[in-house]
Amino acid sequence: MANMKDMIPAFDLVQPTTVEDAVDLMKDAGDEGWVLAGGLDTMDWFKDRIKRPRVVIDVGGIEEMRGIRDEAGGVEIGALTSLTQVATHQRVRSEFGLLSTAAENVATPQIRNQGTLGGNVSQDTRCWYYRSGWPCYRAGGNVCYASAPLAMNREHCIMGRSRCVAVNPSDTAPALIALDAKMVVQSPRRRLYDAEDFFIGPSVDITRMTVMEPGDLLTQVFVPAFWANSNFYFEKVRDRGSWDFSLVSVAAAFRMSGNTIEDARIAVNGVAPYPVRLDAVERLVQGETASETIQNAAGELAIQGTRALRHNDYKIVMMRNLVRRAVRSVAA
Amino acid sequence: MAEKLVGVDYTAVDLRAKITGRAKYAEDFRAQGMVFMKLLLSPMPHCRVRGVDDSRARQVPGFIDIMRASDVPQPEGPSEAMLTDEPKYEGEPILAVAAESEEACAAAIEAIELDLEPLPFVLDPLQSLRPNSPNAYTEGNQFSGQDGWSTYKWTDADFAEVDAGRMPNPATPIVEWSKGDIEAGFAEATVIVEEMIVHQSATHHPMEPRSTMAYWENGRLHAFVSTQSAQRTKMGMAGALEIDPEEITFVSEFTGGGFGSKIPGHTHMSLAPLMSRKIGRPVMHRVTRYEENYIGRARPGFQSWVKMGFRADGKCTAIDLMIVQDSGPYGAGDHNTASNVADITYTPGNMRYRGFPIYTNTPPKAAQRGPGGAQINGMLEPLIDKAARELNMDRLAIRILNAPTQAYGMGPRNQMLTSVFAKEALQKGAELFDYENKIRLSGQRNGSKVTGIGMGLSTYTAGSRGYDGLMVIRPDGKLYVYQGIGNLGTHSISDTARPAAELLGLNWDQVEIMWGDSSRGMPNSSVQAGSQTTHAHTRANYAAAQDALRKIRAIAARQLGGNANQYRVDNGRVMGPGGSMTFAQVAQRAIALGGEYDGHTLPTDINAATVPAANMHVGTGLVGVARDNFGGEGGIYSWLAVFGLIELDVETGHFETKELVCATDVGTVIHPRSLGAQCYGGAIQGMGLAMSQRWVFDPQYGVPFANRLYTARPPSIMDAPRSCAWDAVGIPDPQTPVGAKGIGEPSVGAGSAVLTTAISDAIGGVCLCRTPLTPDLILASLEGRPLPFGRLDQHVG
Amino acid sequence: MHEVESVGVLEKKYSRRTFIKGVIATGATVSSANYLFRGPNVLGAATVQSTTERLLTLTVNGQERRVDVLPNETLAMTLRYKLNLTGTKLGCDRAECGACTVLVDGVNQYACSILTHQLRGRSVTTIEGLENPDTGELSVVQQAVIEEGGFQCAFCAPGFVMSMTAMVADNPNVTREQARVALSGNLCRCADYEKILNCAMRAAELARSV
Repeated sequence: MANMKDMIPAFDLVQPTTVEDAVDLMKDAGDEGWVLAGGLDTMDWFKDRIKRPRVVIDVGGIEEMRGIRDEAGGVEIGALTSLTQVATHQRVRSEFGLLSTAAENVATPQIRNQGTLGGNVSQDTRCWYYRSGWPCYRAGGNVCYASAPLAMNREHCIMGRSRCVAVNPSDTAPALIALDAKMVVQSPRRRLYDAEDFFIGPSVDITRMTVMEPGDLLTQVFVPAFWANSNFYFEKVRDRGSWDFSLVSVAAAFRMSGNTIEDARIAVNGVAPYPVRLDAVERLVQGETASETIQNAAGELAIQGTRALRHNDYKIVMMRNLVRRAVRSVAA
Repeated sequence: MAEKLVGVDYTAVDLRAKITGRAKYAEDFRAQGMVFMKLLLSPMPHCRVRGVDDSRARQVPGFIDIMRASDVPQPEGPSEAMLTDEPKYEGEPILAVAAESEEACAAAIEAIELDLEPLPFVLDPLQSLRPNSPNAYTEGNQFSGQDGWSTYKWTDADFAEVDAGRMPNPATPIVEWSKGDIEAGFAEATVIVEEMIVHQSATHHPMEPRSTMAYWENGRLHAFVSTQSAQRTKMGMAGALEIDPEEITFVSEFTGGGFGSKIPGHTHMSLAPLMSRKIGRPVMHRVTRYEENYIGRARPGFQSWVKMGFRADGKCTAIDLMIVQDSGPYGAGDHNTASNVADITYTPGNMRYRGFPIYTNTPPKAAQRGPGGAQINGMLEPLIDKAARELNMDRLAIRILNAPTQAYGMGPRNQMLTSVFAKEALQKGAELFDYENKIRLSGQRNGSKVTGIGMGLSTYTAGSRGYDGLMVIRPDGKLYVYQGIGNLGTHSISDTARPAAELLGLNWDQVEIMWGDSSRGMPNSSVQAGSQTTHAHTRANYAAAQDALRKIRAIAARQLGGNANQYRVDNGRVMGPGGSMTFAQVAQRAIALGGEYDGHTLPTDINAATVPAANMHVGTGLVGVARDNFGGEGGIYSWLAVFGLIELDVETGHFETKELVCATDVGTVIHPRSLGAQCYGGAIQGMGLAMSQRWVFDPQYGVPFANRLYTARPPSIMDAPRSCAWDAVGIPDPQTPVGAKGIGEPSVGAGSAVLTTAISDAIGGVCLCRTPLTPDLILASLEGRPLPFGRLDQHVG
Repeated sequence: MHEVESVGVLEKKYSRRTFIKGVIATGATVSSANYLFRGPNVLGAATVQSTTERLLTLTVNGQERRVDVLPNETLAMTLRYKLNLTGTKLGCDRAECGACTVLVDGVNQYACSILTHQLRGRSVTTIEGLENPDTGELSVVQQAVIEEGGFQCAFCAPGFVMSMTAMVADNPNVTREQARVALSGNLCRCADYEKILNCAMRAAELARSV
């Protein structure tokens, strides 16, 4: 069959207005269904004619999945809330600036206007072998093209590989992990996941980036008040100042008592098939002041166990330096 | 007094259309009964099409027809055909399908079964020089019209040198020239700098993909084309279709950029006309970005070795340059230009050049804004700094010392140039940049940020001679200027008419620019490439205006008495000893007089292609038509000196460009704001080459991955300098009537150079000697980690 | 866009869900309608051959436009090939260049990456909708571009102008650096960014004075 791109294959479109209906429709459609929200990741798959669902379930009309609400003990963000709304919402900005900064760093204004928080955390990897439709492990095949001896893997992982060496591309994911966010998944059973557990590596299931299976719908993200008004640090290193996914990103939250770090959460992305929480580093810095020694130790500890592919050794030092900087951000 | 037009900003005549949605680019045209066409692209970098089973495709509802390689001309040798049965790169069009809708085109193409025989392929030209390595063509990797195909390889001994990081010495270079005495030049040198440098390929990616719409009506072709040039593209299309150019109504009012990839149009623009002729329906060929990546051309990459010698006072005394060029499947001439630009920019007097253009199975290469020059300027400028450092010399001083004057002849034949104010440009730029103070910031550290100062000198062709101008003063009193040049956004369609209008004493609102539609008449014109249009068509229009002025005065003298030379023009009137006449009256008089006045008689020296255009206007008013006979000797080159300041984060390898300053020698400035935009725009494109743009191939499978904008990474507004300034030397070129030379191309090499030098400056004088200089590479270098790529690797990133 | 009762295949399949409020559109077959050039007033005629559930009424530039839309059709294609609004350009069709930027309820989005059916009940503004329809007066952004001589090839211009329009409506006191960010979803390959920023700042100035 000859290769063709850029025309979306035909599908049936359903546009439910409640979570209940959406979950029902998803269940009926099974493997032939596809959930459409902001549509950015979706359009790529469709236009490449690689993903060809029979039924597309456009959840954009489900109002209960949209908007940011004050809840006891935190804020609840509907999965359909646009990244722009997340970035500009007053309470999120003032109390959970880590998340708004991360959202602000996504792609472009238009993509942030259209793209949703749910979509940003659920998006598929950008490994260009996989996205080109090559039959790799993740696509159900039995080879990883990106780790072949001559492969082009500058943007692939330095840890967490398991047959697959792709990375998670989300900017908001590490921020949500650092904020101990909870992900609300409906299927129709309602489940709650720690953000850290929501993302999965290829050793758990190589075909998915998150715990969500066909039929699951991410409806809300809950950000608990625990880290509100903490000291935050977010940084994303990318090739261009716009559009690009991160090479490496870091998101950190620190609770300070004077100059002492009482508690910390540090997560990085762009280094593994899932956003990585650096709990060992968190333990290291806890109870310490962010001295240069601690900054350096944090950086060195962060990269323990990393292993470069042919073209991405730089990510190891980039990750080390970003973790150092995150800790440095709370130095006296 | 009529207003002054030359050297004054004005609103481009097409701007309102562009920002109201009225401007029609090729894909915006529609026709009754229009159907669509799509291409089937080769999935392999080199293969033979043994069979095509289209039986299922023909069953797809809406399918109309299919065109194969056998339906289109197949040129001999390494020349590109519109469709081929032996694709030589992944993405080369094999066949075209027409259907009632694009969805049906896509479904039909997917239903086609191809029987392909994979053939050996080569992506990296250097690999193709290794003994017993594959060639891009089954017949070999070299072609000459006389001898046909042959195979050219280096020896194991040559590669022992390459692998040891030294410049090899192949027995018989494909291209070789030298001047002066290179041995003596190096003997004279106190400092010799030597590097291996890679400049990677980069796709053009103009904003508008090369779509075409075409239909035939009573044997006449109506073509709506995305092209840089207009009249010349019409001629090219007529040639490809083997029809009389006058049987084409050629429309290209607006083109969304080309940067060298659509100079005389492009190979695939003739597919829609052919398909339309075959099926008898209007055909829209909407080219997608994905397709544009493949058929849209790329700048050839270089793998090179260079050795430069400098005297104790900083004078460059010798250059030994060797370039292996990725020529793609259909060739490119960048490397030759690069050698000439290296010579004229650094004036060594003694130079040897050896060139190795090698065919590869990568998408076709073509001129890209500053072809050859942009690569070599970005590559060599850090070496000038290296020499300055070793000689403990000021970086600006060494550049001013080595910059050419008009006394230096370029290249092997010591070609003389019409005007060279390169030193002046460097001085002007340094002043504007506040070089004295800024250079002190070099290497200054602020937290993790370090300041790097960049600078460079760049040059490129900027003119040509001998084209025709055509204009008519109609009885409404207005001047109608008929432009055969294309409109790709440089404002040339109106800029080149302003000196003519000024000569005729007209206010700008008394001038109408007619362009973009051959049914309005297009005189013989240059292609819109090589930055030649401003020079060439300012001249051509000036010649036509002189012709019109002569006729105006003659009519006034006839009508009002006195000597024609005593009449002058101003504000749409001609006045002299016998009184005055309006241009409206003059136009009526011209029509009444006939003969040469209203175009019944045409000059005998105008190009044959101008005659039918002029004939369209016979009897409509006073016709000014003439060939540019102003003459002149020597090459026409513009210059651009560039300065910049970056802040580089040593912990991430990321940098931000804070300042960009351009100072240019383009002769007389016609349209200041547009000139500034050409300086900055070209420079930022060059910065893209230096910092982000890439084209990555999987070497095992031979397919490109950076085949989209987000993976190819052209510079975004966030990557542009935080502040920009420009100035012009402003000395007219003495050999051209208005004194104006072109701009556009030198700015690209300048932009690349300002970053390659600034980055080198920021990281302690290290030349990473490759493009693009992405954060990974910079960080790895700073941290002393293994570099992500081999020194000579091409197509990586 | 208003809701249309569905009689499609899926409606039958999901017949028990008669309570679902929303459009169910089916598009198993490709459109075989010939492209016919039609003036704006007769575009509705293009829908004759289609199934009813694909009929939508879109609010575009303040006008209600009835149009036959496939489920897999993007807004950019609807605008360009159904409504003859060709000012919205397709530069990449992949949310990577911004030439297709339009306003959806005043917010700039990529028309190439939205299904037209997602825009039920929403209002779309394209480059053609910025001039005052009665007087032909340009919008402040357009006026600013004229004054500052923005753009070169201008294939990106409609998209940039739409982003600037959203920007000045959102914050007429925008700084140059904020404007840079606001326009960072639009690519200009001529790299005329400096002039584009001049236009943006002038547009903000004009917006403040209105």
